[in-house]
Amino acid sequence: MKKVILVADDSPTIRKFVSFALTMRGFEVVAASDGMEAIEYLPSKKFDLIITDLNMPNLDGFELIKSVRENEEYSEIPIIILSSLAGSDDIEKGMSYGANSYLVKPFDPKRIQYEVAKYLN
Amino acid sequence: MSNSISNMNQVFDKLKDLKTIFKLGEKVIPIIQNLIQFMGEIVPLLETINKSISDSTQKIPQATNQINDVTSATELATTEILDLVDETSNQLMEVDKVIGEIKERDKQANEKFDELVNKLNGDETLVKLINEYKELKDNGSNIDSISETMQKINDNSYKITLSLQVQDITSQQLSAVNHLIESVNDKLTTMVQEIDHSDIKQDFEHISASIPQGVSFDANAKYDPGHDRQDKVDEIVSENQEKATQEDIDKLFS
Repeated sequence: MKKVILVADDSPTIRKFVSFALTMRGFEVVAASDGMEAIEYLPSKKFDLIITDLNMPNLDGFELIKSVRENEEYSEIPIIILSSLAGSDDIEKGMSYGANSYLVKPFDPKRIQYEVAKYLN
Repeated sequence: MSNSISNMNQVFDKLKDLKTIFKLGEKVIPIIQNLIQFMGEIVPLLETINKSISDSTQKIPQATNQINDVTSATELATTEILDLVDETSNQLMEVDKVIGEIKERDKQANEKFDELVNKLNGDETLVKLINEYKELKDNGSNIDSISETMQKINDNSYKITLSLQVQDITSQQLSAVNHLIESVNDKLTTMVQEIDHSDIKQDFEHISASIPQGVSFDANAKYDPGHDRQDKVDEIVSENQEKATQEDIDKLFS
């Protein structure tokens, strides 16, 4: 059975890039255009991993991570941040909110495959 | 009598004050006249500036729309290119599967050849003929070369994927420019509204409403396809994780 990954990013091209990189490795990808949409999608499937951007309208990545970690049902899902923010403050904040990995844009498809495999394989 | 003297003194005091005021007036009047003259000259100039700002500001939505159009166009083009890369990758995977099957069949064919050679009981002519036929049929090196080329195409697809992410970075930078234009527009609107509350105000209300809101972006987004930025991030993440471990240890011993 395919592992399902939820990708939250307001950039359609990044959603496409991530989907491209992961579907070719046999993962199923569900894409959300912001944090709010990601939260709405959570009950619809059993997600094995979440990849989230930080800068997003409506609900940003930090708040999404916080919501996921505060919800018992989803709190164990591994979360990878994928952001163009590369400042130490953002990284430390993201990790302290409960993210498991932090990748910076533009990302190497092989690196994202490696990070996902680290938690799912 | 003393009352009349007191009243007279008050009148004199007032007259003194009046005289002071007149003296001051003599000094101030030329300044006021200059100021009036200056205002007379500056007002038409202010009106021109006002009109100019109004005209320029009316072009702001056009500028932001053009920026949004550029973003949409590059987004569409990027998606199309990525679809093609995706299709190419899928086709490569299919070819790779076929090559795998060919290799397997070759392996089986070679086993059959060997069986055949063993059954020829040392008939040298036939063995030579069979070996020549086997060499002619052997595509091993060609297949390896095809596999290498396919691997290169696959690697290039990865590189294209990485390079195409420039679209996301530029779209964030363009959003930052739009945000800047929006801020300038707000300032201009406030300024012109303070100068003139009439028709220009209506123009500006219209303009402000047409600028897109609620866009999220990173103004410092950079396109850096190298590994330097990710290496720095990894360093910070690992430092953080080390710190956390140390804290945990401290907690255990406290």
